[in-house]
Formats: sequence, C-alpha cells, structure tokens
Amino acid sequence: MMAAGQVYNRNSFLDNLAKNLGRERRHQVERPEWDHNPQWGVLKGATQDELVEVLKKQCLLIHTDVHETVSSELPALITHLIKEYGGKSVVTWDDPRFEEFGLSGLPKELNEEEIAVRVWDQEGGEENLAFSATADIGITFSDATLAESGTVVLFSDKGKGRAVSLLPVIYFAIIPKSTIVPRMTQVAKHIHNKVENGELVPSCVNFISGPSNSADIEMNLIVGVHGPVRATYIIVDDK
Amino acid sequence: MKVSLFVTCLIDIFQTDVGLDTVELLERLGCEVDFPEMQTCCGQPAYNSGYVDKAKESMKHMINVFEHSEYVVTPSGSCGTMFREYPHVFKGDPVWEPRAQKLADKTYELTQFIVDVLGVEDVGAKLNGKATYHTSCHMTRLLGVKEAPMKLLNKVDGLEMKPLPHNYNCCGFGGTFSVKMSEISEQMVDEKVQSVEDSGAEILVGADCGCLMNIGGRIDRKGKPIKVMHIASVLNSR
Amino acid sequence: MAMKIGEKPFKERVSDGIGDLFMRGAVSSAQGRFRSGRLNAAEELGNWEDWRKLGEEIRTHTIENLDYYLELLSENVTKRGGHVFFAETAEEANEYITNVVKKNNGKKVVKSKSMVTEEINMNEALENAGCEVIESDLGEWILQVDDHDPPSHIVTPALHKNKEQIRDVFRDKLGYDKTEKPEELALFAREKLREEFLQADIGITGCNFAIAESGTISLVTNEGNARMVTTIPKTQITVMGMERIVPTWEEMEVLVSLLTRAAVGQKLTSYITALTGPKQVGEVDGPEEFHLVIVDNGRSKILGTAFQSILHCIRCAACINVCPVYRHVGGHSYGSIYPGPVGAVLTPLLGGYDEYKELPYASTLCAACTEACPVKIPLHEHLLRHRQGIVEKEGKAPVFENISMKAFSMGTASPSMYNIGSRLAPKALGAFVKDDKISDGPGPLKNWTEIRDFPAPKKDRFRDLYKKRKKERGE
Ligand code: SF4
Repeated sequence: MMAAGQVYNRNSFLDNLAKNLGRERRHQVERPEWDHNPQWGVLKGATQDELVEVLKKQCLLIHTDVHETVSSELPALITHLIKEYGGKSVVTWDDPRFEEFGLSGLPKELNEEEIAVRVWDQEGGEENLAFSATADIGITFSDATLAESGTVVLFSDKGKGRAVSLLPVIYFAIIPKSTIVPRMTQVAKHIHNKVENGELVPSCVNFISGPSNSADIEMNLIVGVHGPVRATYIIVDDK
Repeated sequence: MKVSLFVTCLIDIFQTDVGLDTVELLERLGCEVDFPEMQTCCGQPAYNSGYVDKAKESMKHMINVFEHSEYVVTPSGSCGTMFREYPHVFKGDPVWEPRAQKLADKTYELTQFIVDVLGVEDVGAKLNGKATYHTSCHMTRLLGVKEAPMKLLNKVDGLEMKPLPHNYNCCGFGGTFSVKMSEISEQMVDEKVQSVEDSGAEILVGADCGCLMNIGGRIDRKGKPIKVMHIASVLNSR
Repeated sequence: MAMKIGEKPFKERVSDGIGDLFMRGAVSSAQGRFRSGRLNAAEELGNWEDWRKLGEEIRTHTIENLDYYLELLSENVTKRGGHVFFAETAEEANEYITNVVKKNNGKKVVKSKSMVTEEINMNEALENAGCEVIESDLGEWILQVDDHDPPSHIVTPALHKNKEQIRDVFRDKLGYDKTEKPEELALFAREKLREEFLQADIGITGCNFAIAESGTISLVTNEGNARMVTTIPKTQITVMGMERIVPTWEEMEVLVSLLTRAAVGQKLTSYITALTGPKQVGEVDGPEEFHLVIVDNGRSKILGTAFQSILHCIRCAACINVCPVYRHVGGHSYGSIYPGPVGAVLTPLLGGYDEYKELPYASTLCAACTEACPVKIPLHEHLLRHRQGIVEKEGKAPVFENISMKAFSMGTASPSMYNIGSRLAPKALGAFVKDDKISDGPGPLKNWTEIRDFPAPKKDRFRDLYKKRKKERGE
C-alpha cells in the first residue's frame, strides 16, 4: 500500500460551498434511487449469441475488423493476422489467459519467422515503453466487452501495461465470448460493487471502441491520430 | 361551445383579417365566440426583455379579463405559450398563481383547439396552390403543438403541402431581438426565406403573426413571389 | 488565454463573424452533421427523454450535495496516494500547478483538452515559469501553432478553420510540405506530437467526470491523446471545475452515455479512460505522482441562486450545435471561451454583466438549446433570467428601452391606455406608410425596416371591425 496523499484548502473551500447552498456542511448523504433507469433496458434479455451480432454490427460503424474463431483455432488465426497486417514487431500483455488459450508458444513461433515479440515485463521498466512505441501490433485480452458500443474494457495491472493498446500502430483485442455484456452499465455496476466491497479499483480502466480518430479538421473523420490506426477484434468461443 | 377569443395585439392592429377569419372559422365549427373587449397584450414583449415586474401588470390584467371564460383561444402560438407560462411567472404568489393556473389550463392555440378539443381535422376549407408551413419555435418547443397544424392543412382541398427544409430553424424574429440584434436577425430571416424558396411553395403558412411579419416583411422587401398567409385565413378559405 | 477572448466590442465581433463566410459555411455544415448524429443516437436509444430525466436527476442531486461529494472524492484520491488541492481562484490553482511542475523539475508539459485550464490561463502561468506547454488535442494544437488563435467551440475548438488554412499554418510555422488532405495533416500531427509525448515529463489533463466513491477521474476522448498524457509522463496533474463530479461509477456511466451521444452522436467515444491515483506498485507505465486540482473560480457564487442548474452542464456542446445565432456569428463573437447558449448563460455569471451584458440578448429564445440539452438545463429561461437581472437589479438596460417598457406596461395593463395607443398607431405612423407598408420607419422601427417591410397599422382595428360586425348582425 502506498503512502496517503495530501489535501490542501479543503475545509475553507467546502465551507464556502455549503454556505452558498444555504445550509451546514453535509457529511453523510445517501445516493437516492433514481426515478428513471433506462440504461438497464438496453439489450435486456439478449442471449450471448445475439450480443455477438450486436457487437459485430457496431464494429462496422467504428472501423474495426472482427474475426470469430474457436479456441483451438486461435493461435493459428493470430499468427495469420499478424502476417497479414505485415507486423514485424509485436507486444503483448503478460496475462495468464495467453496460456489458457494456448498462446504461450506464440513468441517463439513468431521469432522463428523474424517477428520480434515482447511480452510486457514488470521488471523491464522503460524498455517496455520504448519497444511499444515502435511496435507494429499490440495484443491484449478484453476484460469485459460491451456489445452496444463495440467496446473492449481493459483493467491495468502489473503485467497489463497501458501502452500495449495505445502505442503500436495496430491493436488486436482478443475477446472471450463470455466477457460480452450488453453495455457499459453492467461493467460500471461491477466496478461499483467492488468499491462497495472495499476492493481496489485498477489504476487505469480503459474503455476502447475501435481505433483512435478525430473530427477536428472540417469535421472529417480521420482514423488514427495518437493511438492505433487500426483495431481488430478477435472473438473466441470459450465455452 | 363558448369560446373567448384572445386576438393578440399584432392582429388587433395590423392583421385584422386574421382576427375575422378566426372568428368565422370558429363559428362555422359551431362555437359561440365572444371577444372580451378589455383585452390588451399578453405581456410577452416586456417579459422577454427582462421587465418582469412591468409584464406582470399586463398579465394580471389579462387574468382578470378572461376570468370567466370557458375556453380561451388565440391564433398565435407564441401568445398562447405566454398564457401557459403565467403560473410559472407567478410561482409562489398565493393569490395570482392559482388564478394564472386557471387561465393557463383553459388556453389553447387555435389549431390545437380545433384538433384536440373540437376533434376536427377537416374544416372544409378549399384553397388552390402549393404551400409550406413554418413551425414556430414557441408553438412547437414550448407549447408542444407539432401535429395539429399539419393535420388541418393536409385536409384543405386543393392545397398541396411541400415540406420546408430545415423547418426547425428559428426565423430570427424573437420579439425585440429583431431590432436589438438586427444584424443577426437579418441572417436568420434570410436563411428562412431561402428555405421557403427551396421548398417550391407559392404560399407560406404560419400560426404566429410575429414570425409571419418577420418572414413576410423580408419576402416583400426582396420582392419574392411568395404569398404569406396565417393558418386561420387558410382554414377559412372556401 | 483566460475566459475572455478578443478585445473588440460585441457589435464588432458579431459583424466580423457574419462577414466571415468561410467560418459560417464550416459551422453550418458541422451543425448539420452534429444534428443528425445526435438525433440518430437518441432515436436508436428509443427512450431519450427518460435518459435526459435521469441525467437531470443525477446532476441535480450531485450539485445539491457538492460539498459532500467533493470531500468524499478528495478522501479517496488521497487513499490511493494522490494529492488534492482545492483552489478558490485561478491564481491559487496556477500557483499550485506551477510549484508541482517546478518541484519535479518539469521542462516539457503535454496537455490534453481542458476548458478549465483555458479559463484559468494556466498555459501562460507555466510558460512564465519557464516551461514549454504543448497542447495535444489535434484541434487545440492547430490553434496553438497558429499563434494561440482562440477556440470557437468547446468540443471541436478549431471548427472555424478549413483544411487549407490548417495546411498553411503548418507550412508557415512548422515547415509542413504536404497537401491539405485531412489524413496527411493528421499524420503530420501524429508524428510531431509523438516525439513530444515521449519526451514530456509532466502530463496535464482536464476531467469529464470525477467519481467520488473511488477517487477516480474519467476522460472522454477520441484521439487517444489523453491516454498518452496519462501513460508516459512521470507526473500527472488533473485540473477540474468543481462541478465535474458524480457519486459513483454507475452515474459516470450514464452521463458518459449522454455526453457522447449529445456531443457527437457516438455510442461511446474511442476512449473512455478512468484513472485512479498514480500507478500501482509493480506497474510499469502511468504516472508516479498524481495531483488533482479542484477549481472554483467563481462557480460557487452560482450555487444557491436561480442559475444553479447551469452547473449541471456536462460540456457536450449540443446547445451550441443547434443554436442558430451561433451558426451565423461563430464562436469568437461571444468573446469567451464558452460560446453559444451555455456560454451566454455561464460567461456573464463568471465574468460579470459589465463585460458580457449583451450575451443574454443574443438569442431569439427559440429554445432549441433547451430542447437539445441532455441534462435538461432550461437554457432559454436562464437567458431570460439574465435579462431580468440586467434590467431590474443592475439597471444596465438602455434608457430608451426603459422608457418604452414603462409605456408598454401602462399601455397594456390598462385597457383605456391600450385603446388610445392602438388607435393612435395609424396616425403616428401614417407619414411613413407607402403602399400599405412601411419601408423606412422611425426610431426603433428603423432597425426593423432596414431589413424588412413593416405592415401599416389598419385604420380600423380588429376590435372596431368586430363591433361593427356584431352590430350588422343585430347582436
Ligand atoms: S448546457 Fe446542456 S447542451 Fe449545453 S453544453 Fe451544457 S450540457 Fe451540453
């Protein structure tokens, strides 16, 4: 556990707010039950297969390629895709799921084809960043996937660097089918419950929907500004 | 059905025909129309300029004038909206808020009254030509009357309705805005006139005299061959 | 750049805006796209009104209990090792930020988009302290490269520039030698800024929604620059307006859904990044030090007043994107980094009526803004409320208007006065009538007749005709 941070000027600041609100400071407030809850109605009751269809349709809108496969075929598909995109250097998370899905042999296999692979390494410090900054492809698993918006949710952790999904030119997300939920509502609830239980929230939770883009020049959509220029989702049947 | 006409000051002074058309139309639909002579203005010009206390004087007066009416009907979406706003203006006033509420509850814009209260969509009108309809902001966004005018216009014999491009755009009237910010208002009304031209209509129909004075005044100034008509006059054409 | 932009008086700014045909074309087509995007997104959800009501509920509750939630937020940030500074003024905020930068020996600061740092003029403070500050949002960066051209929109700040102008800016300032194709311009920016990110030692971000329950700050972006800013530099400073907070992750989710739909018609933007404290032990990337600066800068004066709901604003710009006045005059006309309807309400509250008393009048009260706002802020009512404040409390309205409004209330509150006045109208205006219309009117009518014809008052008013008709019918 790290040392607690400092707070400055809090009391005078908050006293002033309470004064302007015409009351004493409040130290206990119950979050009310909201009268309207439309968020829970979206894709309510959809089956996992229906959610996959929604996800795929949304990916068309967000310029994201989607591939579907079964776990036994996953290693071959990934190798194939890396080559198809002409990837010469690849960075991946250090995540037990790579092994679970039979991908632990990937680095060696690719190295033999002269494709450099780096697995995020918490001892490696800055080298991870330097490698990622020039890598062609970054690969992570999705920790949760939102069908409605075509979003993969990534929880940062020791082996799960932020840069893997950010710095390389192309980003691959491996999506175990079981991670797919209707929308952000379910993930927000999940994290909220964790907080209520006193668990730690990851230092960085990223909700990623496709490649980076901008509309800042004449409102034209430009795909690929600071983050990846391309995004590819690989949905894998894990049942 | 007994109906009190709130004619609005613009119609009283400038567009008297629209007032007469409204009376004839309502009578033809079986209403008994009376015109409370003490009526003046709904107070909107002062209210929208920020002179709320001054506006309240006229508002109180109007509440008195229409105190005993069964229905109050007005051929102006904006003025009707103002009546409906009264309870909001007098919020917390133990005497005037309930009285204002009573007036608001029985006030209707003309087309709203015909469709929602009388339950009529075909008023038996006849008018030849291609027309388009300007949806005024207050009437659609604040009063919430969106469908009624189109329902009525679509049933007018001989009238071909053309959609108005960007119909949601404000015409740039805005009461004192039209003179206070005349440079901006000019751009807005030009845009509206352009849309009316683009619609291919020969007649521009509206339900608000302020908007019609604004768009019509610009159409006249530019010498465009487009006739401007209040919806009451269209519906009273035979 | 502080909140105020430009030195010219309001009228001149408006004339400049109206004269800038390119800008107006750009704004108009952007508004068209924003509009259809927003409407499609709302329609797809089906029950947009319920979403808006939920948004309103959340914002109302949160702002009513702002002191509580800010306390909770700050507790939770510190638990995770972050530092929190409450700044009542812009100066206090800048001083703290500058000190953090100095302490860390910061030379190069990269920033993601933040309106509040513009408002407090933070860049200048840092530059005066000897730092280089680099904007990394593409739109902001274009403006920065163009000698700090002010933003004209709160979501797409360079909306007023076309691609040829951007190409020229890049060519003149940075030696760019490619075409005006947006893809090439963006690629150039990507390469230039990539170098900066990798060298930067301080990252500064704004904050879309801070989450009180966990001390988290969330950033809503498309380009990925905010992720860069919070992944590479060793120190992260986040600056937030004090109202940009929600109770829990569940409310963050709802407001983000409203924000992305209302702003650009997206279900979610490419990146929603939720950051809690500095990086954890064992994590390689992310900041080692995290500071949250919570800024008041005049906002607390709005609490407890009839304007309180303007603090519910989530800065989506939907009101700007539907505003017809904004379409014709452009963002710079508002003289503030907050333009459009939200700006016309907020700017006078933060900057005072002396400087900004025209803004509330730059509206027809058409209510398109109120209809578009995803958290149901009654913007046009606030504009009216400002007018009322300007007239009745501050006495800043023009004398002429004052007199005519007095006459108005006399004339309309009393039927006999109305009678006299309306009867006199044809006579009073008679001299100006030609062909049943007035083309060159006197006094305030002049502003009308410069643009349009005005109808001549009828000799007989409706009430006279009505009486006649009644008599004829023997009633
Ligand atoms: S006032 Fe409403 S519509 Fe305007 S920016 Fe704020 S939240 Fe969006």
